Amino acid sequence: MRRAPRLHWISILLGLLVLMSVVSFHAYTAIRPESVQHAREHRELPERTLALAFHGGPDPKWTPRLLDVLREVDVKATFFVIGTQVTRNPEVTRRIADEGHQIAIDGFRAEGDHGNPLNLAFAQAALADVLGAHTPLVGAPAEVDSGDRDHQDIGTLVRMSLRHGGGVVRLHDDGSIGADITRELAKAPGYRFVTVTEDRLVEATATERFTGAVTTWSQRNGGIVLMLLGTAIAIAALLGILRTLMQLGLAHTDRRLRRESEQSPPPWITPPVSVIIPAYNEAVNIAATVRSIAANNHCADVEVIVVDDGSTDGTGDRAEELGLPGVTVIRQANQGKPAALNTGIRKAKHDVLVLLDGDTIFEPDTIGELVQPFADAQIGAVSGNAKVGNRQGLLGRWQHLEYCAGSNLDRQILHALRCIPTVPGAIGAFRKAALTDVGGVSEHTLAEDTDLTMAVTRAGWRVAYRQQAKAWTEAPSTIRGLFQQRYRWSYGTFQAMWKHRGALLENGPMGRFGLIYLFAFHLLLPLLAPVMDLYVMYGFLVADAPLAAIVWTVFLLIQTASAGYALRLDGESLKPLWAYPLQQIVYRQLMYAVVIQSLITALHGTQLRWMSVRRTGLLTDAPGGTVHVT
Amino acid sequence: MQVFVDANGGRRVIARLVSLTVASGLMVFAAVVGGTLLEVW
Repeated sequence: MRRAPRLHWISILLGLLVLMSVVSFHAYTAIRPESVQHAREHRELPERTLALAFHGGPDPKWTPRLLDVLREVDVKATFFVIGTQVTRNPEVTRRIADEGHQIAIDGFRAEGDHGNPLNLAFAQAALADVLGAHTPLVGAPAEVDSGDRDHQDIGTLVRMSLRHGGGVVRLHDDGSIGADITRELAKAPGYRFVTVTEDRLVEATATERFTGAVTTWSQRNGGIVLMLLGTAIAIAALLGILRTLMQLGLAHTDRRLRRESEQSPPPWITPPVSVIIPAYNEAVNIAATVRSIAANNHCADVEVIVVDDGSTDGTGDRAEELGLPGVTVIRQANQGKPAALNTGIRKAKHDVLVLLDGDTIFEPDTIGELVQPFADAQIGAVSGNAKVGNRQGLLGRWQHLEYCAGSNLDRQILHALRCIPTVPGAIGAFRKAALTDVGGVSEHTLAEDTDLTMAVTRAGWRVAYRQQAKAWTEAPSTIRGLFQQRYRWSYGTFQAMWKHRGALLENGPMGRFGLIYLFAFHLLLPLLAPVMDLYVMYGFLVADAPLAAIVWTVFLLIQTASAGYALRLDGESLKPLWAYPLQQIVYRQLMYAVVIQSLITALHGTQLRWMSVRRTGLLTDAPGGTVHVT
Repeated sequence: MQVFVDANGGRRVIARLVSLTVASGLMVFAAVVGGTLLEVW
């Protein structure tokens, strides 16, 4: 097997980091805090020399008027600019520089906030983008306060400005008064005007200009990025609501069908059945599986065929050693699960076939229940209810919840829509005629169960779900095992969807609902989920934290309620529900990592092979308790 | 032959190139922007 692609994870993580930075930066620049006061160094100017220092700008309305006056009176001033204002008013900033005034930095968001090195860096970046230069003059020296923030009377302001007979005068260019004082100060007899220092702009390097372009872009367009993220979340939320509505619809249909079924129960059928168990290195579980089948209470012949697909751990021997009547073991060289299934199908003597994995435990009435939908001649396949047999630990509980709230609930909804896309490998029954129609099990995908079910549906057969037919299966007990299993399932499902994409143009329910359902809930929703996490994180860290917490909690409550409903439908205890909110932290991320990995693997065209899950043989939650066969 | 599997390896090479370009581009981008800002000019 070629190594699965991995490089994209760096791109995805860095991409998310960049997105997060863009929207956070945008939010950061949108706020203008209070000015920061500093203890400033004194700057000695010759007597009767004034340096006009303008703060708070550049301003789109008042700075140009001030520049007109400065030109009129032929005075050069110093502008202590604010970074966010520079980005907002690039033309005005350029005019300040072009007309020979000195540009210095006062801060990034507020007057005087340059004390924070990051603010200073952002402010320099803004200048680098707009002027292609940065300034060595950061922060004003000790100034003579003109009083322009507190007084309106020009005479008072001029008196205050000149009270020391010279020096750096603190003025503002973000209001009308700056231009008026300047005109009056210029008339003051015997004064000459200089800039605060002789420092001039220093040309920015290419990387500084690039960084400036990036921060400027983020300040200007972060809102658009946030809107796009919001749209993605809206789609995800809409899908979530749609699924909840489907569940409500299902509850209604379910109640109606149950009432009808109670009033006139359909006749109980008992067709003879061939059970096919493809097994590769299932020595730990196979005896328990075969015994559970042999212990069935179906009132007709049940033939059991174990196909040992070249196991190296004595799987076939274990099955033979049991010496159970009606059990045949066929050995073949390792050819893969589809080939093993096809061998079993060829050898089967009955018309109804039950297919299950070598790690599955059936209840005594499972076969009898599973074949009931075949009373309807249009039914070609029946899906049973796969349940997690090892629910110990958080991972086991999470998978149990997911089997009920995810897979089985999906199956109920799709049953109502008549387009179940997967009869699971763990428990399914097929009419031999349906399998013959589609040419047996194909080797085209890794999800041979989904591929087969879609093919059967497209061939005109209906697929049913029998909730009462329960099979207990061993779920992976490690995160790595779970990732590998789901990777194969997800990749295989995409393969099957692509293989059967033609169904979209056909009249059957598979194309109309099945493929669209899979696309929406198995591809689109998991792909949008990381954005949702990012948005929640943004909400908590940057924006309105209480609102983000409320939205997140409401969603979690809806999902938990939906999971509880699924457990009730399945006749399960509500106790494991406490583990559901914890799923949001590790499990959900793992599931969308699986979908992303599958999608990238598909794009790369990498050949994936069967990845076997390490078996423990411990199905403690299956009927009969621990079934540990060694 | 399985669905999606690239028979002659051409798609895999292109995909790897694209992946490599995107990943290294993003790394350079993050290093330049982050590095320049952290240098504090």
